[in-house]
Amino acid sequence: MALTDQQQPIRTEEMLLNVGPQHPSTHGVFRLVVKISGETVLDAEPVIGYLHRGTEKLAEDLQYNQIIPYTDRLDYLASMLNNYALCHTVEEALGLEVPERAEYLRVIVMELQRIASHLLFIGTYLLDLGAMSPFLYVFQERERIVQLFNEICGARLTYNYVRVGGVKYDAPPGWLDKVRAFIPFMYERIQMYDDLITGNEIFLRRVRGIGVFDTETALAFGMSGINLRSTGFRWDLRKNRPYSIYDRFEFDVPVGEHGDCYDRYYLHLLEMKQSLRIVEQALDGIPDGPTLGKVPKIIRVPAGEYYSGIEGARGELGFYIVSDGKDKPYRLKIRKPSFVNLQLLPDLLRGRNMADLIAILGAVDIVLGEVDA
Amino acid sequence: MFGFLKGLGVTLRELPKHKVTLQYPDVRPEWPERFRGVHRLLVDECIVCNQCARICPTDCISLSGTRGEDKKIRLDTFDINFDTCILCDLCTEVCPTEAILMSDTFEMAQYSRDNLYLDMHWLHDNELRYERNHPERFQKDAEGNEATETAGEPQ
Amino acid sequence: MWNWATHPISGLSFLGMVIGAVVILLLTLLVVMYSIYWQRKLIGWIQLRIGPNRVGPFGLFQTAADVLKLLIKEDVIPSKADRVLFLIAPILAFVPAFTVLAVIPMSQHHVFTANVSIGALFYLALSAITIHGVMLGGWASNNKYALIGGMRSAAQMLSYEIPLGMSVVGVVLMAGSINLNDIVIAQSRSIWYFIPQILGFIVFMIASTAELNRTPFDLPEAESELVAGYHTEYTGFRFAFFMLTEYVYLFAMAGLFATLFLGGWSGPFLPGWLWFALKVFLYISIQFWIQATMPRMRVDQLMTFSWKVLLPLALFNLVITAVLKAVV
Ligand code: SF4
Ligand code: SF4
Repeated sequence: MALTDQQQPIRTEEMLLNVGPQHPSTHGVFRLVVKISGETVLDAEPVIGYLHRGTEKLAEDLQYNQIIPYTDRLDYLASMLNNYALCHTVEEALGLEVPERAEYLRVIVMELQRIASHLLFIGTYLLDLGAMSPFLYVFQERERIVQLFNEICGARLTYNYVRVGGVKYDAPPGWLDKVRAFIPFMYERIQMYDDLITGNEIFLRRVRGIGVFDTETALAFGMSGINLRSTGFRWDLRKNRPYSIYDRFEFDVPVGEHGDCYDRYYLHLLEMKQSLRIVEQALDGIPDGPTLGKVPKIIRVPAGEYYSGIEGARGELGFYIVSDGKDKPYRLKIRKPSFVNLQLLPDLLRGRNMADLIAILGAVDIVLGEVDA
Repeated sequence: MFGFLKGLGVTLRELPKHKVTLQYPDVRPEWPERFRGVHRLLVDECIVCNQCARICPTDCISLSGTRGEDKKIRLDTFDINFDTCILCDLCTEVCPTEAILMSDTFEMAQYSRDNLYLDMHWLHDNELRYERNHPERFQKDAEGNEATETAGEPQ
Repeated sequence: MWNWATHPISGLSFLGMVIGAVVILLLTLLVVMYSIYWQRKLIGWIQLRIGPNRVGPFGLFQTAADVLKLLIKEDVIPSKADRVLFLIAPILAFVPAFTVLAVIPMSQHHVFTANVSIGALFYLALSAITIHGVMLGGWASNNKYALIGGMRSAAQMLSYEIPLGMSVVGVVLMAGSINLNDIVIAQSRSIWYFIPQILGFIVFMIASTAELNRTPFDLPEAESELVAGYHTEYTGFRFAFFMLTEYVYLFAMAGLFATLFLGGWSGPFLPGWLWFALKVFLYISIQFWIQATMPRMRVDQLMTFSWKVLLPLALFNLVITAVLKAVV
């Protein structure tokens, strides 16, 4: 707590500290100019743009299928979801029918991707808080997911897998069984993280009651995803505005109670379990058939404006397309959840101390590729 | 209280487990067939249709060809500026004759960007290297077609 | 020549002293080298990795290679740094770290260590000097991260010094002597003190971890917040000095721990030095194990923990010990 002037017994000086752009826990090239007095943060100003690649502008010069590989590089921890979000918007604009099998494959890879992304959140968050092991453990599971993706689409990070009207490849033989084998393993590991992290008193004392905001604030700032759900507001686009075939699956949307960093951490664990449930059901239900629908060779989106959002790993991920009927978008706007969620950060940081800064920043869960686009 | 003891137990249990480190330069990773590494080029297959160059989102392919005496079009140059290639696989997807494909070469660290201009010869050599490394993927079927050559095949 | 501790200094015994110091220095370097190696191996195993395995058989020379690398690196002194302080800070930190080893009885016939009658006190007093090195290093670097790191460590080491000292006093009360040798002998006659002094043992464990700046108390060099803490600006062999200090202290603290609570070199069957080595190894391994598990504490909680939990606990322990001592 900052002392007021009368309380301050000795003259102290405020210090301007540049956290980043190259700093171990800014998760990329993110710069935070914090004004500190001792260890207390008086003010914080995020400076972004170090990873700006102009994706939205570039997209104006690209055909729709060519944009997909660029979306891979937005939130590079959840490329499948980005792929899908773009394709979904284009499909809605075109009114395309997507074959069943393709939809199921999409759901499977998207949920696996969500797990991979959440895993990395847990790993990096704990690394920020000073525990090294979880960071290395999560890579073990993530490696299995990435390897599965590698087998289905040939890439480990930038998949370019989901296409307008379907997916690029059908699953190779035996792939679905491998996914099935992964599920119990993953349940076991989630339990392990629960044991390793959730009960640790030091961890609890660092995250409980830290970075609290309520539903109104979250909504006012346009937050979504786990950041919103941690405040107890049940909002998940997979349930509230079902897209793809999510209405066919049974899953819960866990919500937090206090809106603090602990809730945000724990929701990641819980959501991984729900994602596993979805994958399980999708594996049971997957039909045979083609994986790419009837898509014109050159995709021309009819003139107009289209938006659709999906539940990304970090919140509502939306693509807004303005088309003038050509094969390239006139304007593409991406609703980047990390970017939106980041806005609240200065408010959260004010008055906290340096160690909380890291805990709060980590829990808001940003990916700089997405913030800067 | 004392939840951290549980954590200590977890780390202790991990201790004797099988280690997952891959001793990389000594032990090489096994890439699946669809793996998207640096391109390989079957020079004779290419019909210089320019589709790959057009689809490439980063415009990194440039090629030229001439029509020979026998009316067959031949590839003269084919360069990939690997500097900007994002390995998106779109070029191999559109190629009608499967002339350009992905290999599993992935070690491309270079001291100079100039070395990342991959020309036709390099790409062809890469194809040969790929064939050498994966003879099992080139088993000809009874009719002599390359039946199992599925690596870069769009469906 | 070797019993210089009990006789007036002569030329020969001075030579003995010098030889003793050199031998201990070499031994310490060896121990430090291999505790770093063991740290990386053990934590690696816990994290499903294999740890160093390239330099020499099983990577045994990895640390040596690292040290060599540090030694031949450029010694950068920031132009805005306070030059003199910047240069002497690592030395100031290291010298006491090495000196405290003089009083740890490593074996029954301790040839190279001093039989100081105020052993425990000597250790505590000297180890406090290191704080100056750390703080000055952080101050002199003229770097904000280093400054915060230095201040944090000063605050932390000072506040944990007290519970640490209190927990030692419990043992001293039981043994009736501050001389570490006497403490060991007293333990070999009765039982190892970690049983009767269980409370002190726990306090010592926690406070010593904090003194050593190891996880979960590694705030001074909390890399996710402060990059590298007080040694952010240090390079080359000055950085090596800080690292060395840290690990020499680990060794020294392990020695102190073994001496105070596990009966030092005493133990059945095996020779004394081996018992000592085993106990030191145990302590060091536990430290690494904890390091592989725990997240870091928050700086303000750290202080409250020391003053509001550990200190009362240590005092309580002291009172109980004193009462028991009087009654029994
Ligand atoms: S992989 Fe993509 S970026 Fe690379 S050459 Fe092919 S189309 Fe261009
Ligand atoms: S698409 Fe294939 S055939 Fe056409 S120019 Fe490119 S490599 Fe040659």
